[in-house]
Amino acid sequence: MAMELLVDAVVYGNLLSLLSIGLSLTLLTTRVSNFAHGDFATVGIYVAYTMSVLFGANPYLFLPFSFVGGLLLGFLVYRVVFEPLRGKASLVTLMIVSMALDFILRYSVQIYADVLQRSLGVYTRGIVFKDVNVNFLGSTLPGLLVISSAVTWLFLLLLYLFLYKTKVGIAMRAVIENPSLSEALGINVKRIYALSWMLAASFAGVAGVFLPFRITVNPDTGFSILLSIFAAVTLGGLESLLGSIVGAYIIAFSETVGVYYLSQIGLSTAYRPAISFITLALVLLLYPRGLAGLWSKR
Amino acid sequence: MIVVDVVFFVLDLAVLYSVYVILASSLNLEYGEAGLPNFGKAAFFAVGAFSVGALSVRLGAVFLGMALEGDFKLNSLRWAMSVSQSVARNPFLGLGIFIATLIVAVLVGSVLGVLASYPALRLREDYLGMLLIAFSETIRIVARNYDPLVGGTFGAGVVDFLAWAGSPSREILLLFLSVVVAAIIWIVYYRLSASPFGRALRAMRDNELATESLGRNIVKLRMMAMMIGSAMASVAGVLYAYYVGTVNPDDFTTSKTFLITLMVIIGGSGNPYGPLVGPAVYLAFDRLIQFTKQRLILPFDPNYLSYIVLGVILIIVVDRHPGGIVPEKPTLTLPRELRSLLRQRRVEETWNRK
Repeated sequence: MAMELLVDAVVYGNLLSLLSIGLSLTLLTTRVSNFAHGDFATVGIYVAYTMSVLFGANPYLFLPFSFVGGLLLGFLVYRVVFEPLRGKASLVTLMIVSMALDFILRYSVQIYADVLQRSLGVYTRGIVFKDVNVNFLGSTLPGLLVISSAVTWLFLLLLYLFLYKTKVGIAMRAVIENPSLSEALGINVKRIYALSWMLAASFAGVAGVFLPFRITVNPDTGFSILLSIFAAVTLGGLESLLGSIVGAYIIAFSETVGVYYLSQIGLSTAYRPAISFITLALVLLLYPRGLAGLWSKR
Repeated sequence: MIVVDVVFFVLDLAVLYSVYVILASSLNLEYGEAGLPNFGKAAFFAVGAFSVGALSVRLGAVFLGMALEGDFKLNSLRWAMSVSQSVARNPFLGLGIFIATLIVAVLVGSVLGVLASYPALRLREDYLGMLLIAFSETIRIVARNYDPLVGGTFGAGVVDFLAWAGSPSREILLLFLSVVVAAIIWIVYYRLSASPFGRALRAMRDNELATESLGRNIVKLRMMAMMIGSAMASVAGVLYAYYVGTVNPDDFTTSKTFLITLMVIIGGSGNPYGPLVGPAVYLAFDRLIQFTKQRLILPFDPNYLSYIVLGVILIIVVDRHPGGIVPEKPTLTLPRELRSLLRQRRVEETWNRK
């Protein structure tokens, strides 16, 4: 039992950290509290699902396609929606625009799911992916644990190397610190912003592929986990990439373990999402600087 | 039969429009005028509906001396039907239930509104929006899982308080009731917006410090705005619950909040006519899509389209016409240049935060 809980928590933590790092990246660069972030994951799910239906192979093989799909979607969203608003809209207006974006993406996926169902005659709601078992150091582990951990940590490592060792990444951090000064120094701020949206959406797309291994998914699954992502980012201090990764694992563990104890004291496990909502509310009310406040001086 | 169809079409449109006008007015008071992004709107809407769902059947049973034996979740629809049968013979019972649930809804809504105004003191506006979304989803999750409230996922039955009127006149009465309630609420909101109170709210939105230095109590202004707005949203919930005839917690998701928010921005935030225009735009597209649905064979459910259309309209409006379809009129006592400077300042604060 404890082992199952641990596996579930780690997998969920991997997922949430891929999602929350993207959310805090776009929040840091373009100031958008993106309510459509969950829908990027949904798009990732449906890219992988469509490919696996068409080609009949294991969905893990289509991770790169979901990644590329995310890149394209992020670029499109930034260019069409948020670039025209750069320097023109207030924080809450940007939030509201992302609500509109959520409607557009979520219901487009609904329509896509309907069309796919009609044209291919396959189920497009309540999807589950079948997991494989992996032999790892002599013991059999669920493939999801191994693959999602490996992919997540590879991505986080690559993101770290990108932000700290490459010129573009350093430019991105400069833009986060001070956009107008970076622009004066010749950094193409628009391009950096577009890149941050591409990264955010592609990380979310990859996370989306892992979701159906864990729960049954629908076109609104991304939206339904949105508040857990926000809880992770808020717990991490809202403006810290490292904080949001730590926050993601804490939220994942407290939801998974908390739900176990809820069922122990006779409460329905359906209260599970309330754990992250309450965490979000408490952090905002009591210590809005979040975990990042523990190590950052700002 | 055509007449009946027309009555139902008009009824549906009028009730939905009234409910949306009330909700949009309440959000416009809170966000458009007072600058408080109350993205927990769905919860305050739900408070009204839950009061009806939880109380109409039980109150009816108390008045009738009827014993309610068994599980609320499994029996509330049946109970609602038997209370409605008594209401059919006794109009005063129906009116009593309606008024009692309305009063409870307004009271609970206002108290919750006052409570929700406290975090607004400490938090930046976008954090406040997120906090209220979390609050609203928590209420929904609790209502969904705590069966005695409104029957959990089964939903709760609602007494038909107009059962005494008989079929066509019942619908016409309901239609008039919702239109009249919405009109009263909108007029109250319009008068508030034009009053010194409304000007103080907009002053607070534009510059808190200056407003405070002129002797206005920011805490009280915020509290009043949230209290009035939440009470309004609860009334909308009551109307909606009696119209639909059942209450289901899953009707009050954050998507509802998003819908109302988009309507307010599209209509024109800060302008009292905005909440009349926004819902009209949404319902016009929604009905148009419903109407063409019967004539076209599409490989998908066309209802999704109205949300997509609304989202696209919002993005275009924010980009091309940021004030909405009917932008906020400058207060006559403030020169136009000063107002645009103030708006510019809010944008600059967003982008040069560091």
